[in-house]
Amino acid sequence: MVIDSQKMQSLAAATAREDIAGRSLWADARRRFLRNKAALFGLLLLVFVVFFALFGNSLARWSNDEIDFAVMGQAAELGGPSLETGHYFGTDDLGRDLFARTVQGTQISLAVGIIGSAIAVVVGTLWGATAGYFGGRIDNLMMRTVDILLAIPYMFVLILLLVMYGRSITMLFAGVGLISWLEMSRIVRGQTLSLKNRDYIEAARAIGVPARTIIRRHILPNLIGVVTVFATLLVPNMILTESFISFLGLGVQEPMTSLGALISEGSGTIAYGTLWQLAFPLLFFVTTLFGFFFVGDGLRDALDPKDR
Amino acid sequence: MIVYILKRLAIAIPTLLLLIVLSFLLMHAAPGGPFTQERGLPPEVLANLNAKYGLDQPLWRQITSYVWGIVSAFDFGPSFVYKDRSVNDIIAQGFPVTLTYGFLSFLVAVLVGVTLGAIAAVRHNTVIDYFAVGLSIGAQVLPNFVMAPILVLVFTLALHWLPGGGWRFNDPHFWVMPVIALSTSYMASIARIMRSSMLEVLTSNHIRTARAKGLSGLRIVLRHALKPALLPVISYLGPAFVAMITGSVIVDIYFSTGGIGKAFVDSALNRDYAVMMGITILVGALTILFNLVVDIIYGWIDPKIRY
Repeated sequence: MVIDSQKMQSLAAATAREDIAGRSLWADARRRFLRNKAALFGLLLLVFVVFFALFGNSLARWSNDEIDFAVMGQAAELGGPSLETGHYFGTDDLGRDLFARTVQGTQISLAVGIIGSAIAVVVGTLWGATAGYFGGRIDNLMMRTVDILLAIPYMFVLILLLVMYGRSITMLFAGVGLISWLEMSRIVRGQTLSLKNRDYIEAARAIGVPARTIIRRHILPNLIGVVTVFATLLVPNMILTESFISFLGLGVQEPMTSLGALISEGSGTIAYGTLWQLAFPLLFFVTTLFGFFFVGDGLRDALDPKDR
Repeated sequence: MIVYILKRLAIAIPTLLLLIVLSFLLMHAAPGGPFTQERGLPPEVLANLNAKYGLDQPLWRQITSYVWGIVSAFDFGPSFVYKDRSVNDIIAQGFPVTLTYGFLSFLVAVLVGVTLGAIAAVRHNTVIDYFAVGLSIGAQVLPNFVMAPILVLVFTLALHWLPGGGWRFNDPHFWVMPVIALSTSYMASIARIMRSSMLEVLTSNHIRTARAKGLSGLRIVLRHALKPALLPVISYLGPAFVAMITGSVIVDIYFSTGGIGKAFVDSALNRDYAVMMGITILVGALTILFNLVVDIIYGWIDPKIRY
């Protein structure tokens, strides 16, 4: 028997080489995400906005409900943005510092977006995974419920709720959370349907793993990708919803404020030459939305197996 | 097909009833009544008022007579705040306005969006494509309540071209800004959806066959690519419709157009529950009806769907 010595040597060399570090799904996704310029730009925007919301107040020389009586009533002449007075973004009609108010508005808007999205993640994932996993009559009942709720003009119902039960921020969170999970549960259900017939799920069922454990250990971890992407894209939508309601004056109440409320105020006064009242809140609003949309799109490209 | 429509109606009617009952119960459970005032009314007056509006009846009687009023005579009952007007009067006053600019906005969003998306796909990776993509990204962060003040700033305050608000049925100048404000962000969404679905269709086999036959580019796009590419757009129309109705609230407030959106917010601020409920139910019914129509159109265009 002739041994091909060359082949053997190369084989030996190959086995002697150190193991190539495997790339997990997440490492792959991270690499794709970091290569995506738009997504990185979005991330940068978001980091900026979050820092502004968290630490902006330590830069502010005025608090958000303090009235500068030197400016009050003369906002158009004296309330413009200036470093000397400490009103970096100018003031509103009442002489309140717009910088501090924008910081607070950004905080509220981010909070509404993230909490609404978080409710969607928890409720929507559980609802969708349960419906998809059990299928049959349970699935039918649960998804018809979602269909019916989706057919209701939710913005009107939300306003109805806010008016009847008081315009508190808790009510706003609850109302936004009430509607945000519907789409999520549909997406999760679809994904679960395609997961549940995989071999490893069948194997788990065959050795008698209870349904709850299968959902928790095998279905939910596989949903993380889809849920992450959708949750990120949901945040700007929640911010839009909240801003819409605040624009109508039905959202958070004074002295608290949100970006929507500030935009509303600013757009009501553009005729009087106080353009900064619209421009600064609008800038942060648009920046936040851009950030979330870009990051969401980037995550989708990074995690979506279709595009590989 | 007819069976399918009937089936859909069989779901739609309970949904609508649920909406009515739900909003009725919400209203009933809310603290305070329509006649709660700072200085309480004398009990005799309150009793008379309650009797006049039927509020002294047991709850189930109130619900059934309310539902029956809507079903039998399309009667949403009296307004609780305006003593001489019924909910029907208020809706009838604002609805034509909302319908006019809503319909125009919808038309603009669909026609411009589809055209822009299709051209962007056909001229993939050219300047036109980049323009369309940029526009659709930009418009995504410009919802109607941001568009409205910007439009006023540009067209009314800077250029003096258009009136900053108000509504006249016979003067299109008053229509322009409401329609642009309402349609832009949905136009952008439609353009984006249309572009990606058109790109997909243009690489499919039947288009290659059509090219191989030697058909002209325009004919391929119009005859063979447009119809399949429209399907995702059509399924987006339902949500877009709901969003536009919601957006009409902003248009009514900001441009003082006097549509039902204004009536809705006024009633919300005045706690005129009857008007709020009437409008909510009307909008809900429109939404359900529109979704039904969209589904029927979808089935008619997509030959794969058989009912």
